[in-house]
Amino acid sequence: MKSSRSAGASSPVNGKEDWDTRRKRKSADIAQALSATPVDVAALRRMAISEGGLLTDEIRCQVWPRLLNVPLSVLDQEPETVERENNKDYNQVLLDVQRSLRRFPPGMPDEQREGLQEELIDIILRVLKRNPQLHYYQGYHDIVVTFLLVLEERLATALVEKLSTHHLRDFMDPTMDNTKHILNYLMPIIDRVNPEVHDFMQQAEVGTVFALSWLITWFGHVLSDFRHVVRLYDFFLACHPLMPIYFAAVIVLYREEEVLECECDMAMVHHLLSQIPQDLPYETLISRAGDLFVQFPPSELAREAASHESMASSTFKDFDLASTQQRPDSVLRRRRRQKQAALESSAASSVVAQPSAARRFVRLAVMGLTVALGAAALAVVNTALEWAPKLDLFP
Amino acid sequence: MAKQYDVLFRLLLLGDSGVGKTCLLCRFTDNEFHPSHISTIGVDFKMKTLVIDGIKVRIQIWDTAGQERYQTITKQYYRRAQGIFLVYDITSERSFQHIMKWASDVDEYAPEKVRKILVGNKSDEVDKRQVATEQGIKLAKAYGMDFFETSAFTNHNITETFTRLAEQVLAANKKDLDLLRMSVNDEINLAALEEEEGLCDSAAGDQGKGCWC
Repeated sequence: MKSSRSAGASSPVNGKEDWDTRRKRKSADIAQALSATPVDVAALRRMAISEGGLLTDEIRCQVWPRLLNVPLSVLDQEPETVERENNKDYNQVLLDVQRSLRRFPPGMPDEQREGLQEELIDIILRVLKRNPQLHYYQGYHDIVVTFLLVLEERLATALVEKLSTHHLRDFMDPTMDNTKHILNYLMPIIDRVNPEVHDFMQQAEVGTVFALSWLITWFGHVLSDFRHVVRLYDFFLACHPLMPIYFAAVIVLYREEEVLECECDMAMVHHLLSQIPQDLPYETLISRAGDLFVQFPPSELAREAASHESMASSTFKDFDLASTQQRPDSVLRRRRRQKQAALESSAASSVVAQPSAARRFVRLAVMGLTVALGAAALAVVNTALEWAPKLDLFP
Repeated sequence: MAKQYDVLFRLLLLGDSGVGKTCLLCRFTDNEFHPSHISTIGVDFKMKTLVIDGIKVRIQIWDTAGQERYQTITKQYYRRAQGIFLVYDITSERSFQHIMKWASDVDEYAPEKVRKILVGNKSDEVDKRQVATEQGIKLAKAYGMDFFETSAFTNHNITETFTRLAEQVLAANKKDLDLLRMSVNDEINLAALEEEEGLCDSAAGDQGKGCWC
C-alpha cells in the first residue's frame, strides 16, 4: 500500500489526492443524489459529465433512467412481442445484428451472446413499431446494444425509445438530410479553435463523412473498449444532443499535428481521421468538448452550419427550443454580446469572411479557458442543460 | 519524393447491404475473410498496387454502406470514381433485382465514361442460390459489362475481378497509358488529372472529354 492514504484524506482539493479516494467520494455523492427526494437530477448530470463519469454499470442502471426521465415503472410492463415476418425493417436489422459480434465482451459464451442478439432485434423492432415516424439506420443497432449490455431488456427498451424520440430523432428521419446537416456543425467548431486545421481540411475537400459513424452511434461503432463507450454515453446522456459533434471536433483538434502532416488529399485525410486512435485521453477531451460547447453554443454556429448546405428549415426545432431554455449565465451572455457586436461590425463593413487574426484570438481564449477553468466551464455546461429533464415537453 | 506507383485511380463498390462488399475488399487487399464482419457505416477505402502490362497501378477502392438511406451520403463519391463494381448476392434475388437501381444511380451521378463490372458474390453458397449464373450473364450483357461470380469466402475469382476492372479503366485511358510508356520516368496521377479535367468540363462543356477517349 502506498503512503498516500493519510495525505489524501487531508490534502486540499487540488487534484492531488488519488483517484481511489475521489472515486469513493463520487460514488457516495451519487448515492446521495439518488436517495434525495426528489432525486437530485442536476447533481447526477454533473456526475455523469465530471471525471470518470458514472463509474460502474451498476450505477449506470440507476442513473441513466434519471438522466432520460424514464420512470422505473416501465419495469412492470410486459414488453409486447413484435412480428418479424413481413416486417419492413427485420431484414436490415438482422443483417446488422448478425454483424455486431465485436460489440459483445470477448469472453461471453456464444449462447448468452446469441440470446442478447435476439433481445437486440426485439428491442429495435419494438421501438420502431411503437413509433412509426422513426426509421431504422445502420448504426442504430450500435446504440441499442450499448444499452442492452448495461441494462436489462425492459429498461433498455424504455431508454432507447426515449433517446430515439429525442437525441437520435434527426438521425431517424426518412432521409439522412438532417444527419448531414448536423455534420455541418463540425467544421465551424474546428474553424473557431484552429483555423489552420480547418483550412487544411477544406483544401483537402475531405468533407465530414469520416465522422458520420461517430455521430450516429455515439462512437459505439468505432471504439473497441466498452468502458470508453459507456463513459462517453454518460457524458452524452447528460448533455445537449449536439454534444457528440463537439466531441468529434475535439478529437480532430487533438490530432492537429497528424492532420497537418498528412498529404493534403481527400482520401488520405479521410483515411487518417476515420481511423480513430484507441488510446484517446477521454477525460481531457470530454472536458474540452464541454468548454467548446460553452464557448461556441449551437445557436451561434447554426447559421454557419446552414450555409454549408441548403437544408430543411424545419430542422432542429428541438434544439432551438432547447437553447431558448438554457439558463442565461455570464459566459453565454458574454458570447451573445460578442456575437451581436460582430454582427453589427460585419454588417457595417459588409465583409463576410472574418479576419484570421481575430479567429486566432478566439482560439487563445478557448485554450485559456480549457486550461484554467475546465471544471468551472463544465459546471456551466451543466447549468445550461437544465432543459434536459423536461424532455417530455418536446413533441 | 518518388511515388511507388505510375498511375492512381479510384474504384467504388456498390450494392445492397450484406452482399459482401467489405468482404470482397478485405479478401483482395489483405487476403483475409471475417465471417462476422461489421456493417460499413458511411464510406472508407483500402489501397492495393497491381502491375498491369508493366505499369504499377495503384488502386484506391472505396467501400460503401449498402442501406438505401446512405445513398445521399455515398453518391457524392460516385463522381470521383473511374470504375465501379455492382455487387449482388447470388443467394438473394432481391439484391440482384436492385442492381438495376444501382446501375441507374451510377448513370446519374458517376462520370459518363466510368467503367462498370457486375459481380455475383457468395458463389460458394450453392445450396442457397437464388440467382442463376445465366441471369447474371444476361444482365451483364444487357448493360455491356463484364461479369464474374465470386466468393470472398473461398477466394474464388477475387483477384480476377479486381484486375479486370483495373485493366478496363486503364484501357479507357489508353492515350495516357501510351504517353506513360513513352516517358517511363514521368508519373501520372490519373485521379488528379481527372479532377482537372472535371474543372475543364464545367467551364467548357463536354469538349474536354475528347482528350480521354
